[in-house]
Amino acid sequence: MNVRRPLALIAGLVLAASAAPLSSPAADSTVVISQGVDPVTMDPLQRTITPTTNAQLNMFDTLLRHDRDGKLIPWVATSWRRAAPTVWEFKLRHDVKFWNGDPLTSADVKFSIEKIKDPAEKSEQGPRVNTVDRIETPDPYTVRLVSPRPVALIPGYLWLTMIVDGKYWAEHGNAYQAEHPMGSGAYVFKSWTKDEELDLDVNPNWWHGRAPIEHVIFKPIPEAASRVAALRTGETDLITNVPVQDQLQLAAGRNTQLESARSVRVLFIAFNTLKPGAQDNKLVRQALNYALDVPAIVKTVLGGRGYPLASPLPPNFTGYDPKIPFYTHDLAKAKALLAQAGYPDGKGLELVINAPTGRYNRDKEVAEAVAGQLSETGAKVTTRIQEWTTYVNQVSQRALSPAYELGWGNDSYDADNTLTSLLSSDARLSTYSNPALDKILTDARFELDPLKRQALYTKALTIVHDEAPWLFLFEYEDLYASTKRLQWQARPDELLLCDEMKLSG
Amino acid sequence: MWVVAGVAVTVFIILHLSGDPAAVMMPLESTPAEIAQFRHAEGFDRPLWVQFGTFAWNALHGDFGDSLRHGEPALGLTLERVPASAELAFTALALAVIVAIPAGIVAAIRRNSALDVLARLFALLGQSTPVYWLGIMLILIFGVQLGWFPVSGIGGLSHLVLPAVTLGLFSSAKIMRLTRASMLDVLSSDFLRTARAKGVGSLRLILHHALRNAWLPIITVIGLELGTLLSQAIITETIFAWPGIGRLAVQAIYDRDYPIVEVVVLLSALSFVVINLIVDVAYALLDPRIRYE
Repeated sequence: MNVRRPLALIAGLVLAASAAPLSSPAADSTVVISQGVDPVTMDPLQRTITPTTNAQLNMFDTLLRHDRDGKLIPWVATSWRRAAPTVWEFKLRHDVKFWNGDPLTSADVKFSIEKIKDPAEKSEQGPRVNTVDRIETPDPYTVRLVSPRPVALIPGYLWLTMIVDGKYWAEHGNAYQAEHPMGSGAYVFKSWTKDEELDLDVNPNWWHGRAPIEHVIFKPIPEAASRVAALRTGETDLITNVPVQDQLQLAAGRNTQLESARSVRVLFIAFNTLKPGAQDNKLVRQALNYALDVPAIVKTVLGGRGYPLASPLPPNFTGYDPKIPFYTHDLAKAKALLAQAGYPDGKGLELVINAPTGRYNRDKEVAEAVAGQLSETGAKVTTRIQEWTTYVNQVSQRALSPAYELGWGNDSYDADNTLTSLLSSDARLSTYSNPALDKILTDARFELDPLKRQALYTKALTIVHDEAPWLFLFEYEDLYASTKRLQWQARPDELLLCDEMKLSG
Repeated sequence: MWVVAGVAVTVFIILHLSGDPAAVMMPLESTPAEIAQFRHAEGFDRPLWVQFGTFAWNALHGDFGDSLRHGEPALGLTLERVPASAELAFTALALAVIVAIPAGIVAAIRRNSALDVLARLFALLGQSTPVYWLGIMLILIFGVQLGWFPVSGIGGLSHLVLPAVTLGLFSSAKIMRLTRASMLDVLSSDFLRTARAKGVGSLRLILHHALRNAWLPIITVIGLELGTLLSQAIITETIFAWPGIGRLAVQAIYDRDYPIVEVVVLLSALSFVVINLIVDVAYALLDPRIRYE
């Protein structure tokens, strides 16, 4: 055997490696963004996964946008109004063009929404538009969405509905869209190598004005520690889901900075009141809420990155009421309530908290901390941790009992989605049933007067607070980190809109 | 082919008993009607044997169905990632062999010397270091601190260095240990003593007489290691954001994306079968005593 040849190969490899450009620091006009996963498709009418939406929203326009406070602002639609009790009317801009020059008209809006509604498309976005019965297009720049009953929520749900070029779609067919998008947004699709990188170029003709950053690359890095390392070497400019334990190091980094936003995602522990057990007793549920010290959990487990909740809704949501009180930590009161419920000093009370691992930030650790605090009542509290895919199957079959942890991100900023999906009797995820609450939630969904609607939600939240179907935990704060040259403010809806970013210098 | 068919049946049954993909794939707020519609559209509401029959029939025609996550043909999505995985696995194996075989020979010749102790220490550490820990350490030292190599993604040769070293270390230690043991066996054999007595030069003695006789177990383990490297790449590809099959498989398992998992497992089984075949052929080439009738 000739041993010289492999040695020469090694030497060659080393030389080649040292000659090749190392960590390719992003070119001046290019920003590299690293999320944990790659987009799954370029077709914007299919999925609802945040990393996919994040890539697509930079290429496609929507009728409306949410600003950072959750307020709806005009986008492709310049104005919107209720033309009749069951009709929402949107007036469109006249200067929006797809990258191929096709004008964006009401026909494209109609095409996009009908595509999502078509059962054959199997779109996950169906629930966003299922209250729309039909779409009328009286002229190229007017769209009317008609519902069978008056609905208050339609504009809010349209924010993430992206508009595709109907003509282009009809020419090329469905399958083609998954890899060859045609949008009208701030950035033009250039190329996509799956799990490697998605390259976008600025759209020089964007109706909103050319975005400040010329090129954007989405480069997924699944492992959190590797994402942090790639940011520190300058291989990437912006990373999502920063581990809490890395925040201090990144905040103090020579070339890195931390960015955060109060998230729309809340974490809670629900009681399965549909199954028999101590948890179907209201006094027990209230007692356990009093036994919790949520601010302490936020401080120790989340490094302070969270906001305790008094009800299922964060403060900037329609329907939130600041008068709903918190369950403040009061162990004596908790013990008194437990004694009243027949569990003096917690004796005889056993509670298992189910929780997923790796799905939400510090999900397992939060459940363990909660169990620890609840044990102080004298009850026997344990956790049962499972991997997400196994867990979610049981969540959707309402099989987890007596208590289970779940997170909820509602990007409509409206009480309806959270309360109806999680607490109305017939919702797939609800393990609580109360006909009085059901009626209020249905009335609120179809109530058009904002004041009357708010009054209904106040009533609903009062019931929820008193009945305590959950252990109310907190609203997350999302952590991002970027290189210092990137100027950007994180959004509460976890979205990365590159037209809102710029480079310093 | 029976091996591949057996693997196909086993994987199909395990996957379909392990949970409902509708619960994972559909948004949490979907109504029971929407979930039922999804299950019907994907055929998950049919009896298991009907589902398997359809799967087997289509698979024989090269159609493994569309990925539930991507909505594109699973076979294409998987094959797209083969070159990246192969590049990483072959480089890792090449590095492992280039380091392990000379080290193993030297350790055997200089038995109980400092070099031998060093080699054995390398074998011990190499086989007991967890891949995820090694990967992160290499990233921190050679990527973040020294800035020698990029830490994520695919690109030029420099991108290949850290993942290939991470992936190759375990195999390198194993091959080194085996080379050393195999050489020690041969070195103490009678024919070698005779050769030495006849005055055969020491380099020729080792390379021509000893190594040639020690080859068979080494080749076997190298072949098996290639199969192992393809499966171990799951962790390495995730740490280094390498766009290979391993990463695709992890995500597909999380999502209960059956078509992708089935294709990946079948491809792995097929590669094991092919590698074994190549090893068997290599035996015949290396050892004139072995002939297949």
